[in-house]
Amino acid sequence: MDTMSLLMQGFAVALTPESIMFAVIGAILGTLIGALPGLGPANGVAILIPLAFSLGLSPTSSLILLTSVYAGAMYGGRISSILLNIPGDEPAMMTCLDGYPMAVKGKAAEALAISAIASFIGSFIATIGLVILAPILAKFALRFGPSEYFALFALAFATLGGITGKNQFKTLMAAAIGLMIASVGIDISTGVQRFTFGTLELFEGVDFIIAIVGLFAISELLFFLERHAGDGLKQIAVNKLKLSAKDIIQVLPASFRGAVLGFVAGVLPGAGASLGSFVSYTLEKRFSDKGEFGKGDPRGVAAPEAGNNGAASGALVPMLTLGVPGSGTTAVLLAMLVSLNISPGPMLFQQNADLVWGVIAAMFVGNFVLLLLNIPMVGIFVKLLSIPPKYLMPIVTLIASVGIYSVSHSALDLYFMVGFGVLGYIFRKIDIPLVPIILGMLLGPEMEKSLRHALVLSDGDWTVLFNSGLSIGLWTVAMLGLILPMIIGPMVRAKMARAKISEKDD
Amino acid sequence: MRINDRVFGMLMLILAVAYGWEATQFPIPFGGHESVGPETFPIMLSIILGISSIYMIVRPDPDEKWAPSAMLIELSIVVLAMLAFAWAIEPVGFMPAAALVVSFLSWRMGASIAKSLITGVTSSVVIFFLFNNVLELALPLGLLEF
Repeated sequence: MDTMSLLMQGFAVALTPESIMFAVIGAILGTLIGALPGLGPANGVAILIPLAFSLGLSPTSSLILLTSVYAGAMYGGRISSILLNIPGDEPAMMTCLDGYPMAVKGKAAEALAISAIASFIGSFIATIGLVILAPILAKFALRFGPSEYFALFALAFATLGGITGKNQFKTLMAAAIGLMIASVGIDISTGVQRFTFGTLELFEGVDFIIAIVGLFAISELLFFLERHAGDGLKQIAVNKLKLSAKDIIQVLPASFRGAVLGFVAGVLPGAGASLGSFVSYTLEKRFSDKGEFGKGDPRGVAAPEAGNNGAASGALVPMLTLGVPGSGTTAVLLAMLVSLNISPGPMLFQQNADLVWGVIAAMFVGNFVLLLLNIPMVGIFVKLLSIPPKYLMPIVTLIASVGIYSVSHSALDLYFMVGFGVLGYIFRKIDIPLVPIILGMLLGPEMEKSLRHALVLSDGDWTVLFNSGLSIGLWTVAMLGLILPMIIGPMVRAKMARAKISEKDD
Repeated sequence: MRINDRVFGMLMLILAVAYGWEATQFPIPFGGHESVGPETFPIMLSIILGISSIYMIVRPDPDEKWAPSAMLIELSIVVLAMLAFAWAIEPVGFMPAAALVVSFLSWRMGASIAKSLITGVTSSVVIFFLFNNVLELALPLGLLEF
């Protein structure tokens, strides 16, 4: 069947009242979470996964809910960037450069509206890209055997640090730790107990949902206490919106360029949303700057917002088609799929066509919902920013714990969650990235299975891992992904730092 | 100062050795040895962890500043409060436990005692009824059950 009719079937799933309801709830919750400084999409999805899971939602409903939260959080991130000059997460950083100066000049409402429109264009175009690219990639990936898959998993870890990765050895270390946690439990193929020390609770391994909430949400609370305890955030008042058609037309080209660049950055392994918004902003600046950028140019708001939302949808391409997430949030979404007993990868498009296309269609619906929510109702989200975090953070933590408790009604899970929170705090202090740990826990079983499968088929001959053109290609990209950042990383970081400094000088 | 990475690297090196050694001790699975057994992958992991730990010890990054010790004590108290909540949720019940932990956290983040208590009690009651009655996920009543 061709893509168009599959997509139409997807819309039949996405336009049921139930699906629309979940898309709307997800969009609202996501925007709220994204708007809060310190909470980004990965945290948002992590906090809501246990809830979706314990509510026993159907796979389609849970995925629609969580992808809307994801998109909503990417939208919401711009609100705190513009009004507080505090990016909710890393990709939202570039929006501060022109968004905050615009707000200072009394154009906060315009900056918010323009960024909402740019976000919409970014997500919308990238979702079209997803519709076109995902089936092609899925078909291609059907040719993968176990040794290609093993190489693909290695590639996923190698590129996870991203082009801007600081210390590649720390990424490797984090991946190894995650994979080691995954190896706890009973070995599926032989029944041998591994690293359980005879503890019954460990026979089934460590639940990654608990690890995700602990590492992300609880460690964030600890960081928040350390940094902001007590201090109020000064917020810029929002003026009345005066946006003419001319203003919108002025930012359209920047938004389209940003959307396409962001999508490409999202699809590429290791690039991700941070690079998406960075590249979109710098190229737009080179393209149309006449000295206004950094002082509140609307195009400087539109380009990175389109870029980071485009990258967010682009990152779903490798996640859905290959089962290899390229970012923290897509890793968390992958965790959701795995816990619903759905294995992402090329087969997903054949075995669960309804689900995949339903979710893709729901992304289109979610985008319209978000645009409608964000233009007239932005005031409500802005109000939320005036609630001091000293009340909000404890409540968010409570909701996260309730979600964890509801999954299996066991207090032991809560102890584990707190334990992972402390670990997450320590890891972040030493600059050990958290995403490879989660990814290792997620991909560990599959990665080991493909290794053993490949080696059993070849009777223990290790060269099987490198004996097809495809696997050699994958290993090459993996090696490049590991080595390139050591050369390019310092350059890009220096540029990002300079962009920030020059903005402060003005 | 470059102490953090060195200390952490050494801890991880110990973990890598212990993990790898434990893997070699797995019992031989039923049906005898295979070319790739349950120990193959863990041994690979211990090697990767070992190499990256040694790199961290040899070429450590500059330290991120740790919080002053007063703040570390503060953070430990907060962690203990969350553990106490985990312990109390069943015997004491969700509402009192949650009200206490949320109030405590708000207070430690700088809210006044009265406002912290209002936040704690309101949020725990709202979340309890939301979960039990709307979402139908049973949270323990604990002491309030009679």
